[in-house]
Amino acid sequence: MPDPVVHTHDVCIIGGGLAGLRAALACSTAGLDTAVISKVHPLRSHSVAAQGGINAALGNAEGAEHDDWEAHAFDTVKGSDYLADQDAVARLCRDAPAAVIELEHMGTVFSRRDDGRIAQRPFGGAGVPRTCYAADRTGHNLLHTLYEQVTARGTRVYEEYFVTSLVRNGGRCTGCTAIAIPSGELHGFSAPAVLLATGGFGRIFSRSTNALINTGDGGALALRAGVPLKDMEFVQFHPTSLFGTNILITEGARGEGAILKNRGGERFMERYAPASVDLAPRDVVARAIETEISAGRGFPGGFVHLDLTHLGAEKIMERLPGIRQIAMDFAGVDPILEPVPVQPAQHYSMGGIDVDIDGSTRLPGLYAAGECACVSVHGANRLGGNSLLETVVFGRLVANTMIADLPSLPPPDGALVREAVRAEKSRIDAILARNGDERAPAILRDMKAAMFEHFGIFRDETTMREGLAAITALQERCRRASVGNKGTVFNQALHRLLELEGMLLLAEAVARGAMFRKESRGSHTRTDFPDRNDTEFLVHTLASLDDGKMAITQSPVTLGMFEPRERVY
Amino acid sequence: MILRIFRYDPATGTPRYDDFEIDPDPGMTVLAALFAVQEQYDDSLAFRYSCRGAVCGTCAVLVNKVPRLACRTQVQALLDGTDEMTLVPSPGSAETHPFDPAREILIEPLPHLPVIRDLVVDWDEFFEKYRALGPVFRPKDSPPENERLMEPGAVHALEAYTNCILCAACYGACPVDGKDPAYSGPAALAKLYRFHSDPREARDGSRLAAADSPEGWWACEFHTNCRRVCPKGVPPDIAIGKARQELQRGGRKPSGPGRP
Repeated sequence: MPDPVVHTHDVCIIGGGLAGLRAALACSTAGLDTAVISKVHPLRSHSVAAQGGINAALGNAEGAEHDDWEAHAFDTVKGSDYLADQDAVARLCRDAPAAVIELEHMGTVFSRRDDGRIAQRPFGGAGVPRTCYAADRTGHNLLHTLYEQVTARGTRVYEEYFVTSLVRNGGRCTGCTAIAIPSGELHGFSAPAVLLATGGFGRIFSRSTNALINTGDGGALALRAGVPLKDMEFVQFHPTSLFGTNILITEGARGEGAILKNRGGERFMERYAPASVDLAPRDVVARAIETEISAGRGFPGGFVHLDLTHLGAEKIMERLPGIRQIAMDFAGVDPILEPVPVQPAQHYSMGGIDVDIDGSTRLPGLYAAGECACVSVHGANRLGGNSLLETVVFGRLVANTMIADLPSLPPPDGALVREAVRAEKSRIDAILARNGDERAPAILRDMKAAMFEHFGIFRDETTMREGLAAITALQERCRRASVGNKGTVFNQALHRLLELEGMLLLAEAVARGAMFRKESRGSHTRTDFPDRNDTEFLVHTLASLDDGKMAITQSPVTLGMFEPRERVY
Repeated sequence: MILRIFRYDPATGTPRYDDFEIDPDPGMTVLAALFAVQEQYDDSLAFRYSCRGAVCGTCAVLVNKVPRLACRTQVQALLDGTDEMTLVPSPGSAETHPFDPAREILIEPLPHLPVIRDLVVDWDEFFEKYRALGPVFRPKDSPPENERLMEPGAVHALEAYTNCILCAACYGACPVDGKDPAYSGPAALAKLYRFHSDPREARDGSRLAAADSPEGWWACEFHTNCRRVCPKGVPPDIAIGKARQELQRGGRKPSGPGRP
């Protein structure tokens, strides 16, 4: 092949959602030659779909005047079922007010109180109303704000480039290879610092609120480059996704007063969480709904009702216009007039690429932030409103880490990246040369069904063992899978097969982590080990790949401010 | 049901239309139907997708001659005729290929932008025009310690424009964009007006001046296609009308083809 195109930058940021753009903004402002590489236009990133809000102890709400970052940290640690690293949580919560104010200063139009200050609503697991919001389109507003800021600085954005591998040389990460989707050409990127900000992997499950692009590419890239994934068994199931399409119906609806009801019209959360009722954390509410449905108290098809009708048209139109539109467009239901049919669906990946509190992986030159990373600030269960917060706080922090590290990371040898492009080209050409009946969409569908069935809200050893066997068989099928499209321009069949290879690795990591953890904690509920077991499992799990074989080890949890206690809501 | 889809492969260079027969499930969207075609018939069919929930703006295509988000458009409503929309004709809405709306759905790329492959268009020109108007917040004063205060009413007024998802449906629907490649277009102007009307900015007229040109505010002919096709209810025509009125109040003589 002719000499491949190689782009050289100081920093390559893979992913153009909130974490990637916040990091890009900091790197560009610091004068670094910064590139954002994204498989979609940055504004199409899944951050745009975040609805309910972003947490910060501003203390703006009535009765919350004395709120402070320690109270936020306590709620976060308790919500995490004590698995979060408390030094990282302290950082997240201490930086939160400044992060939100900074976004307002960049132009985000937050919803306001009558006195003109940023409005804050109650959210699950929070002691006081602490969630700042822009109606129920908070992610959309934040993403557009950061995109505006990054665009104004002229940061180079490689739109529609699908990263296929990280380049690893001499114990360092020195770049990546990527398919330029519109042309199909394989390009190299050479940079002393590479940041993964690729978002979550929700699409390995059949029921997911996530965008179709959430295939967890960054986690698979890291794993293959020798970086472990942490706490992959902790997968958040959001209690209220729209029945049918599983599009998110924000927790903010319950924050504004919406009530969950079973088929008998009973407000069943009173039995599961007497103190917090509908605003218990997500793991608690999701389990409650699943329990109601399996006990025959749900509606046929498997859903319960989220009733907003008593809120009145005015409040719904002002605070929740987006979910009203979604319910009307996708379920033909107007929440002003009738209850919304909802069921739990995969929503968030607490686990991810193992990074330290500064966002560094154990591979020098490789960093990660946002949902694809696991610091861990969410532990075994994330609180609503903390994910947007994590993206902007750790997006900025990891940029500072890269800025500080760059002087000690010499510019990589571009020849090594060219070599990597050639190797990757042969690998992809070999995939294109395959023929046969096995195709990615069928394997994808089977994987998603297997993951939801065997690694869903309730888990046990027997079911999981069957699930892991199914995943292993699917990996075998994937090795034979071919594409009909042998072309170059926008070959989505090829890209989806490459995504699927990575998704199957992540599915295996979830499976092995879940089987290793013989306890119930946060989102990980084992019917065969119903209690939390701090003696053996107050640890993070690490999934790593060695010579193609995945192994699980453990690493300690950083405690500190709050002693683990029983979690009652 | 037949999906009649515009096809273009740059390798061969000749556009064509392909028919695919799909069994519509209840609740099937145009996006789901496109995935069904990819999976059952031809995995080389190219179209953009992301959120599938009408919030990210990726999948705008021309459906039965109207720009729509594929993920939000229900197949059954199209076949029943309950989702019909009549637009002022633009170069993109001219008849290209006959179809029977009772049993066929015609899917084409968004007009007024170059086609890369099949239903995928090159957005560069659309985003270039957006960038050209300087869409970034410019506060009138240095940042205070806390947030800048805003009236809730001012927030609601701004939301009409911040709700824009830059899907380019309006750009594909606008007859003026179809005939004048220099026109900024509805989305870029609505975004500019969002900044102009932000009470935290200086409101010194500089935002209005940025599009005070024959390719800016004054090019609009008020066909209102933009507002009708917007999946988020954003009214660019109202922003443009208000901008012109404000400029005229400041002594600017109307120079455009349409009068608000």
